[in-house]
Amino acid sequence: MSRILERIMDAIDIETFLVCSSEDEGRRLTLQLFREMGFKDVDIVFIQFQGPGVRLRARAYVHRPGDAYGWLKIGGEETGDGFPKSSAGSH
Amino acid sequence: MVSRKVLLAPIDPVHDVGLKIIKRGLEEAGHETVLLQPDLQPEEIIQEIINSRADTVLISRTLGYGVAEILARFVDLADAAGVRDRVRIGIGGMAIRPELAAELGFDAGFGPGTSVEEAVAFVEGRDYVPGLAKNNKLKIDITESYTYTCHNSVIAGLLKQIAGIILAWTENRTSSGVLRARVREELWDIDRWRKYEKMTEFLEEYPRFCGEITRDFYLKGILHPKTRRFTREEAAALEEYIKATKERMEAPKLQHSLKKPLVFNQYGTGCPFMDTGHIKVSEAWGADGVIHFDPSWGARTEGFMDGFLTHQEDGTVITPANLNRIRQSLESGTLWQVRAHRGLNTPETVVLAGKFQADLTKINISYGALGAGTDPARMTVDGVEAIRYAAKYGLPFDIVTNEELCGVPAHKAFAGMLITAALALRLGAKPILQPLFCYSPEVMVGGQMKDNYVDFNVAKVLALRHIIDAPVWPGAPIGFMTHSEDRIQSSAATAYHACLAAMLGVDAITIASSDEAYSGGPISVPSKVDTLRAVGEGFRFFGSTRLEPSQRALDWSREIEEGIENVLRQVADRGDFVEALYRGVLGSREEGAYPGRNGRDTVMMV
Repeated sequence: MSRILERIMDAIDIETFLVCSSEDEGRRLTLQLFREMGFKDVDIVFIQFQGPGVRLRARAYVHRPGDAYGWLKIGGEETGDGFPKSSAGSH
Repeated sequence: MVSRKVLLAPIDPVHDVGLKIIKRGLEEAGHETVLLQPDLQPEEIIQEIINSRADTVLISRTLGYGVAEILARFVDLADAAGVRDRVRIGIGGMAIRPELAAELGFDAGFGPGTSVEEAVAFVEGRDYVPGLAKNNKLKIDITESYTYTCHNSVIAGLLKQIAGIILAWTENRTSSGVLRARVREELWDIDRWRKYEKMTEFLEEYPRFCGEITRDFYLKGILHPKTRRFTREEAAALEEYIKATKERMEAPKLQHSLKKPLVFNQYGTGCPFMDTGHIKVSEAWGADGVIHFDPSWGARTEGFMDGFLTHQEDGTVITPANLNRIRQSLESGTLWQVRAHRGLNTPETVVLAGKFQADLTKINISYGALGAGTDPARMTVDGVEAIRYAAKYGLPFDIVTNEELCGVPAHKAFAGMLITAALALRLGAKPILQPLFCYSPEVMVGGQMKDNYVDFNVAKVLALRHIIDAPVWPGAPIGFMTHSEDRIQSSAATAYHACLAAMLGVDAITIASSDEAYSGGPISVPSKVDTLRAVGEGFRFFGSTRLEPSQRALDWSREIEEGIENVLRQVADRGDFVEALYRGVLGSREEGAYPGRNGRDTVMMV
């Protein structure tokens, strides 16, 4: 992951208008676009087709809750929990 | 302070309003100013700088075309005329970006959204320090100006009778939830916990009243399968993040000219770290308060684990360590609500909220029993105990009526809410009424919102105000069921409901993010910014405008009040509140309210 992507708190959204002939085509093109950009955890949040094409917002999650977040520069030994194993943990 | 001579020059064909506003600010600060007319050539402006003997120059540019070229030419001419050595030059306006200003060698660049104070600070050669009002948000007790006087004497009498029935019924009953709360209250000392002292008595007693999952945690050290502990490095990194963010933090006010409604949003990504990120962003974009949202399995689990835990589903696990971390991340003026309205840990949640100095909690027996899956008998025993702790810790609580979303009509949900409010007042607590501003199944079928979303929501607030002098906090979130996955529509829907709430003069609102209707993944932090910005813009647009209720709203308000009275009479006549819950008096199966099953047969006679 690039250092800049690590700064994204949770997700990157792309909003645009794709010229296409149906919503299905718009969906397919959008997901392909994200894959070509190297994103894996991808979804279409909103898509609306009218004659000229689709208005869309698509999302790639960079950090899901519970991940190790790049914006905190993290990794290492688990914290204790105080109960019942150790009293040296971090509250 | 040295008085400066400032030349203000629009390097633009027509636009100079921004400079006029700054001119006034500079003069009020004691500086001498000269404002040039628009549409002068760079050569003419340079000549004016020389002639006026100004020591500071502020240039503005609104139109975007050709901006880089014209500014570069201005800089070249200023250099050639020897002006740059003795005059500080700042550039601002809609077409200006700080990067461009720096690239061209200006002393400062002010983009869109620059305040007059920033420009004055530049002229005076000092660092810009945001106004105290931005940083000095103070906590407000939204209950303090209310008398809780009941204006409807019939309803007052019925509520008094029902509260008495409930207190008599609970008097000789208890539950593991009540006993756990007592152990937490009496044997768990927050100061000792903070010092990592082992509380042997607590550890011996507490697991006795827990369910299997939590007991396994205490006795065998087994974590809930959906959770993991943070690492020490993660915890240290979080502390650094919070410290650095707090130092940069400004907490703007959304309400423009009004003092209320206070704006709350909820966090509950599953991860206290991500929650902290969301909280800091919400505060920075104007949220007055944040609400802790726990996972749905937490409501079905007897007891709390401890430790700094994360998991990967909606809702953040309540543990002392998690609450402690989140509490520490808050700005001093941010209100913090830890909700306890449902589930098997209701009274203990209030105890923890009290010990960690939360500002508010959330309790509703009817909703917990009819819309949130907890057995009515258990919810009643635990709910009454939770209210006692709310009174003890001085925690006002809202009484959410989300059973409306199941299909329960507003008047029935409100009857349940008022019963919990009556119990609160009897036990010395401070209740806050929370009608839903929502497109509920009742109105979808009944057509009350066929024309607009305004009248029926107005009717709800009017009915409650006609009954009792109590704080009103529409939720939760406002606009429920009107949002779509389109962030523009979703933000607009939230803003409209917020403005309606403001025009009704309510005390607080809970807003959603623009991801409210998106179910494909976790709520993203930009979606929180979306609705906070939309609400702020709505408040700016309407200011202190008030709403005149329509005749239809007045008629519906009377119908709701009559309906509440009718339901309360049925509960009182039955003489058994819990039985009334089971029998659907406060919301029936046909309407979509099913008495909960979690904790069934766990109430014990004392």
